[in-house]
Formats: sequence, C-alpha cells, structure tokens
Amino acid sequence: MTKPLVFAIPKGRILKEALPMLEAAGIIPESAFLDKESRLLRFKTNRPDVEIIRVRAFDVATFVAHGAAQMGIVGSDVIEEFSYPELYAPVDLNIGHCRLSIAEPKRLAQDDDPREWSHVRVATKYPHLTHRHFEARGVQAECIKLNGAMEIAPALGLAGRIVDLVSSGRTLEENGLVEVERIMPISARLVVNRAAFKMRAGDIAPLVENFRRLVGVADNVA
Amino acid sequence: MTIAHGLLPEGLRDRLPPQAEAASRLLHHVIVAINRHGYERVSPPLAEFEESLLGRLKSARKQDLLRFVDPVSQRSLALRPDITGQIGRIATTRLNHRPRPLRLAYGGTVMKLRATQLRPERELMQAGAELIGNDSVAGVIEILGMAVETLKIAGVEKISIDLTLPDLVEKLAETTLPIEASKRENLFTVLDAKDAGGLAELNATGYRPLLEAAGPFDQAIEKLQPMAEKLGFADRLKALKTIRDSLDESVHVTLDPTERHGFEYQTWIGFSLFGSGILGEIGRGGSYTIIHQDKREEQAVGFSLYIDPLVDSGLGQKKSRKLFLPLGHNPEQARDLRQQGWITIAALDEDDDPVIHQCTDILTSGEIKPL
Repeated sequence: MTKPLVFAIPKGRILKEALPMLEAAGIIPESAFLDKESRLLRFKTNRPDVEIIRVRAFDVATFVAHGAAQMGIVGSDVIEEFSYPELYAPVDLNIGHCRLSIAEPKRLAQDDDPREWSHVRVATKYPHLTHRHFEARGVQAECIKLNGAMEIAPALGLAGRIVDLVSSGRTLEENGLVEVERIMPISARLVVNRAAFKMRAGDIAPLVENFRRLVGVADNVA
Repeated sequence: MTIAHGLLPEGLRDRLPPQAEAASRLLHHVIVAINRHGYERVSPPLAEFEESLLGRLKSARKQDLLRFVDPVSQRSLALRPDITGQIGRIATTRLNHRPRPLRLAYGGTVMKLRATQLRPERELMQAGAELIGNDSVAGVIEILGMAVETLKIAGVEKISIDLTLPDLVEKLAETTLPIEASKRENLFTVLDAKDAGGLAELNATGYRPLLEAAGPFDQAIEKLQPMAEKLGFADRLKALKTIRDSLDESVHVTLDPTERHGFEYQTWIGFSLFGSGILGEIGRGGSYTIIHQDKREEQAVGFSLYIDPLVDSGLGQKKSRKLFLPLGHNPEQARDLRQQGWITIAALDEDDDPVIHQCTDILTSGEIKPL
C-alpha cells in the first residue's frame, strides 16, 4: 500500500480562506480539524489517501521542501524567503492577498528619501528576502530577525524600519508607521514537493488540476 | 577555541560499518554494470587547477568550487564538485585522438562547496558513464537504459524518470515565444519554481501550457502536442516518444518541459532519476556540449548516480556469516573457507570471545558449528 499524501495547511492568516478551497478541490478534513480545542496535529480527511497537518506557515514550506509533506498551501512571502529549490508553486490560489512592504515611523518619513539610502537597519520576519531586495537596490541591509510584532521595533529603538506584510495598513497606522516602499505583492500558492511531483504524479497531478480549475473559475467570475 | 575531539567540518562524516562496506559494494556493482556496456573506466584526480576544472564545460561556475592556493606552486587549485567536467577534459586532451564515440566510466568522491539544508553532505560518491561524440536519440536510449539497468542491479525498486528539455525555454524565448532578453533570467526562475502567479506578473502567460503539461508522460505529450506544432518543437516530442518506448514498462516516466534545476549545462534533453522510498534525486544526466582547446564543440550524453542516498536508504548491505577460528585451527582450511565466502575472525589469545566479535559460527575440530 502506498503511504497517504500529506497536505500541509498553515495556521493563521490563510487558513480561513484556504478551507473552502480545499473542500471544493475534494478534500474535506475530519471535524476535529475545525475544533480549536483539539490538540491533534495530524488529521484524517474524507479521502483515505490524503492526510492533513496543521503547522506554522514557515513550517509548511519546510515540511514540503523536505518531502515530509507532499503538498501544501502557503503565502508567496514564505516561498520567496526560503527559495527552496525543491519547492514547486504550480497554482496561484488567488487568496490571502497582501503585500510585502518597507515601513518606517511617520516622523522619519517626513524628510526621508528612500533613493538616498546606503545602509538600513531593518526588523523583519523575512531576513533573506529583505537582504535580497536591498542588495538588488544597492543598499546594505542589516536585518534583525523577529518572529512577530515587528511594528513595535522602531518605537523601541530596535531598528529604524521594518519589512512586513501589509494588507489594510491599519496595524501600521496604529503604531505610527507609514509604508514607504512596496517590495512585492503576495498571495497564497499551492506548493508541491519536487520529487513527489514526479514520483507520485498519478496522485498529485489530478489534485493540482482541481485547484487550477477552481482558480480558473474564480477568474471568470471576477 | 579548541575543536571538540571527533568533530568534523560541516557536511563531512565518517562512514562506519556496515554503511562503509555497503558504499564500496554499491560503487563496485555500478561500475561493473556500466563496464559491461563497453564503457572503460578512467580515474581523474580529486583536485585540479581551478581554471582547467572550469574551462571545458559550458557554463560551469567558479563560485561552486572549494578552492585553495597550492602552497607549492602558488596556483589556485580546486576540489572537483563533479566528475563529468574532468571526463570532458580527458576526452579533449589525452584521449582526443581516440575514435568517436568514446565510452568512458568513472566513480569517485566529489566535494561541494556548500551543503544545503535538504542535502547536508558536502562529500558525495558519484559514479557514471559518458558517451562522447554522440548525443543522438540512439545515444540517449543507450545511456538511459544503462542508468535503469544499473539502478536495478543496485537494488532500487520502482524507478521513476523525469525527462526534461533543458534548452527549450531559452530557445522559445529567443524565437517563437519571444521575451525580452532582460526578463529571461526572471522567466527561468519563475518556471523553475513552477510559479504560475509569477508568469502572469512577467506577462509571459504564453508559457503557461508548458507549466501545466508537467506530469505523467503520455498526458504531458498530449497536452504539449498542439503547442509544439504551433511553435515548432514537434520533432522534439517525437524524439522523446522514441526514448520513452525504449524503456521497460516497469519504469514510471514523467515529462517536465520547463525543468532546469541543475540542468544549466544540458542541451536538448535532461533527466532525473528517482527511486521509491528514497528522498530526493538519486541520479541525473542528459546531453551537453564539450568545448575543445580550439573552441570546437563536441556533443555528448551521460548519466551520474549518487551512491550516498542509496546507502542511506539501506541498499548494498549484505548480512554475512562470521566464523570464529580458535587458536590452533588449520590455516589452510581457514583460507579455503574464506575463498568460499566466509568471513573469519581468528582468536588472538586463549580468552578471545567469539561473541564480542559478533561471530555466528565457530570452527571446532575442523567442523563449522553455529553459535
């Protein structure tokens, strides 16, 4: 018997939008998955050949890249941060939209010209991506890796600027920050492990096709 | 700071029993299997002048080499990250005069500059075969068939082959599906990640059918056919079909027209080899160009296998019976038994204990008795 396909789903931001999509693609998780009290990490689905794990967004990419999970859903921010060569992102799911941006305190922004930067100190969850972005612009970036609450870093003097996800911009505003540069638009992607994509093409290709069709339909409506 | 006793540099390790034995057994099986097809073994050195290691292959990269200055000659030397380049050097220098096609086999250690999180070893055992002077469909069939046969001999079950067309995207970008030169690198990166969203951002949705075609061979060909006829690469699909038909039924074949992962120097065809139960790739190969000293180009095709993932998955191990020889045994009888395949452990003193040597049998008064 072949082992079930393991599908990795991120906790947090994308989960709510991803679930209906997963169901539409034919994978319905057992009820414990929706139960917030449940301490399970591995869940069964309506399909005996598909299992779901719920992990942190950054770990979705790692599980799938290493082949511990064969498929998953994760934001393009995470994919870009790791740039694992073993990770395929065959479908843009058109959900979880936001952008990755540079923000700084309003006071600083008043007489700051991003074109004149040569060195910046940045607090971020995305040190690699941030480095890459600034390097391509010819700016040396000193990144301080945080795992959350980037917005308070400038006020406490940890770093002058932050690189973080922005959707409505409300969190930034509440913390006295303004967006000064957009790095890239972000959306959630279906990801597949490279080796699994080849070796289990028979199981995986139809699922990828389902997601592709779902997104295609959504495009037409919009 | 002192280095803890036994600590090895990142990505390097000691192979112990029984894996060390398994590794040499597998390498031997692989080399012998290749040799039976008329491929003769060559054995280039572990280190070379950096420039000659780089020079012969198109698009080899300096930053992938573990380099150092030779204190004797004061010249830059590098450890080989791959043996294929050295085979190219041999073919264009010392064996330049031999008639083509040239069939060469090799096996040995290579050293990568960087370990990745996914493959933490920097030192790997590579073995393979190169057919130099011919990259025709018949040549590819010979190489691919040999790779499959060799893996089966090594004990790999359920082999999967992913066929790729490494230079297809570049050719299309220059001709029938034009993309401006400045955007091409981005296009390759996006296609490498199978990033459909990224294609849209690049205004390169014309490449989408190529992404979507990737999958089981027959379906992929069917999806690609209309596009191939329109954009003028139908003959390539025909060649792929001939190659597919040459492989035995038990081999699972997929096709991925945009895959370029590590196929930077391959030309019209590339392939990756996978085995069930083994994480990641176990071998790869394809057609490529060798550059001669007079800039003349010569076509070649070959494959390499990596022995380490096979060892790590438990292949190559042989349970053998060990025979304890007490003091005073007959040495001639012991020699005969070794020739029959027994592993013998001879007692060094009266108190020697067969159990601590993990012996399975003991020789008592000329008779083999199980322990």
